[in-house]
Amino acid sequence: MASRLLLLGTLLLAACASHEPPVPLDRFLAGDLDAMREFFDREIRAGNANSGALYLNQLAGVELLDGRLESARKKFDAAGRFMNNDNVSGSEEFAAIWGAESSKAWRGDPYEKAMNGYYTGILYWMADQPDNGRAAFRRGLNADSESEGEKFQNDFALLFWLAGRASVRMGLRDDAEAYFRQASEAQVFAVTHGARGNPEARILREPARGNLICLVDMGLGPEKYPDGSDGELARFRARRRPEAQAEVFLGGQSLGRTEILVDVPYQAATRGGTAMEGIRKGKAVFKDLATIGGIVAISRGLDTNDSSARNTSIGIGIGLLALSLLTRAEADVRHWTTLPDTVQVLAAEVPPGRHVLRIEFQDAFGNVLSGLTQEWTVEVPVSGEGVYYFRSLPGIDRRAALRAEAPVGTATEVKS
Amino acid sequence: MGYTKHLTLCLALLPFLTVSCKGTVDRRIDPDEPDAVGGAVLDSQDIRAMADKMSRDIIASGILKSATPERTSFYITGLRNDTSDTIDREIVLTKIRTELAKNLGRQVKILDRSKEGMEEIQRERAAKRAGAVTSGELKGLAGSDYVLKGTIKERMKQAGKLKSVYYLVTFELTDLESGELSWTNDYEVKFESEKSVITR
Repeated sequence: MASRLLLLGTLLLAACASHEPPVPLDRFLAGDLDAMREFFDREIRAGNANSGALYLNQLAGVELLDGRLESARKKFDAAGRFMNNDNVSGSEEFAAIWGAESSKAWRGDPYEKAMNGYYTGILYWMADQPDNGRAAFRRGLNADSESEGEKFQNDFALLFWLAGRASVRMGLRDDAEAYFRQASEAQVFAVTHGARGNPEARILREPARGNLICLVDMGLGPEKYPDGSDGELARFRARRRPEAQAEVFLGGQSLGRTEILVDVPYQAATRGGTAMEGIRKGKAVFKDLATIGGIVAISRGLDTNDSSARNTSIGIGIGLLALSLLTRAEADVRHWTTLPDTVQVLAAEVPPGRHVLRIEFQDAFGNVLSGLTQEWTVEVPVSGEGVYYFRSLPGIDRRAALRAEAPVGTATEVKS
Repeated sequence: MGYTKHLTLCLALLPFLTVSCKGTVDRRIDPDEPDAVGGAVLDSQDIRAMADKMSRDIIASGILKSATPERTSFYITGLRNDTSDTIDREIVLTKIRTELAKNLGRQVKILDRSKEGMEEIQRERAAKRAGAVTSGELKGLAGSDYVLKGTIKERMKQAGKLKSVYYLVTFELTDLESGELSWTNDYEVKFESEKSVITR
């Protein structure tokens, strides 16, 4: 009877762990947005409810690529609100500590919250709401400053720079100057601590320059995987792609190369240890000791001739093994799989009006990856700036051209 | 195995059963009461309370009451968000406008100066003047005596797992002829929250 109940308990806790289906990244890298939308939409409707915010972010990312800006903004904003809500129920806390960590609702690591702030913010900016855009950038910066590794707090240059640009749009010059200064400091700090990028990036030397802003998501972000004897450690590894930089042409003339303002694997790796990491390590030690103790107890029980002592020993051994089975030490490795490897920026001063913009993606040696080249029509207003978002995926520009409701160029322009 | 042992094991497993079998929530609640979702952000009760406070105070000040037969006119413009929380300013401004309209009725003229509203007005006026649609009396566009605008600011503090956020929402009514700040008032709220060990 006791073993049946223990088995039931094991099954109940095991049932709490989340097992996410693999994201079809091959389809994503092929630019098949329909397949991605279908996958994320299905997971939101019928998948693990505790991963809702994770899939909402990724679905919003697909909608942003597809030019469905208002819907993307609402989804990113809703996901961001959930990710930054500290309200956790006692039962959720209990289950995540005593059972599998992945039974908790996904709220993301600080770098994922910061990236949510980036997307939410640029979409508000594009919707001509620079104050709400700045609020989202600041929300991302607050999340970055939550990193337990205090040394690496406030090193998200991209968000500081964007908050500065939004402040310029709001007419708050003093605020803008402060954000631009912090952006430069963050960039220098990140690069000197291992992030890719130029500590003297032009975009940060002339932060308010340019009426055409190109935000480029490059490559694919890091993979989070379990490590350690019981999978109790959450680690990151880069998912390298050939594309490393982009060159932007307007009317056939080069405007220059984009510059890295955030290195996503660096941000992920420097998120610092979490409180749960200590708990998981403790659980892993307990699990190993319970297993060893259980085996020793059963072995001793089998070796003795005293039937009463044998039953007690085997009973204790089974109990310890069951406890070992019940203890779930593995780390929650759910993560935002479709994030980019880097976010790069180019701001240029160009004549107002309609232009043909070509963006060429290059490898680290400057070789053009022709399959990724995109051509867009952009509109630069007389005052204010045109803000455009790009990603190193094939065929995105051709999809936009075919879409009836959002013609080439999309509606990403910010009018003054 | 005795009854006591069975009972002990069942009780030991009860928390796991409770966790596994938690139900869902789907109910109507009072917008003036805090909800279970939480979050240290401006919520429905704040929007209702600030709209009520502002509209009552504006009315009590008597600024919008006209001494002449001509009604006082005003419009409500932006609510600048200086916080780190995105805010749907429409929900706040619409609520205040509704409260003022309900309480002042035909004593004042509330003008629609929203981008969408102005486009609609221009289209309809053009159609009337072109004879494309019927029209009664043709009027000039109403000018405004006052503008009501506001800002939302915050002060956030964080120490370890504790966080507090103070919000200050300020509204101002400005005389559009003299530029004088005719009325101002604010709404304050402060939240304190503690991060769970599972989210740190």
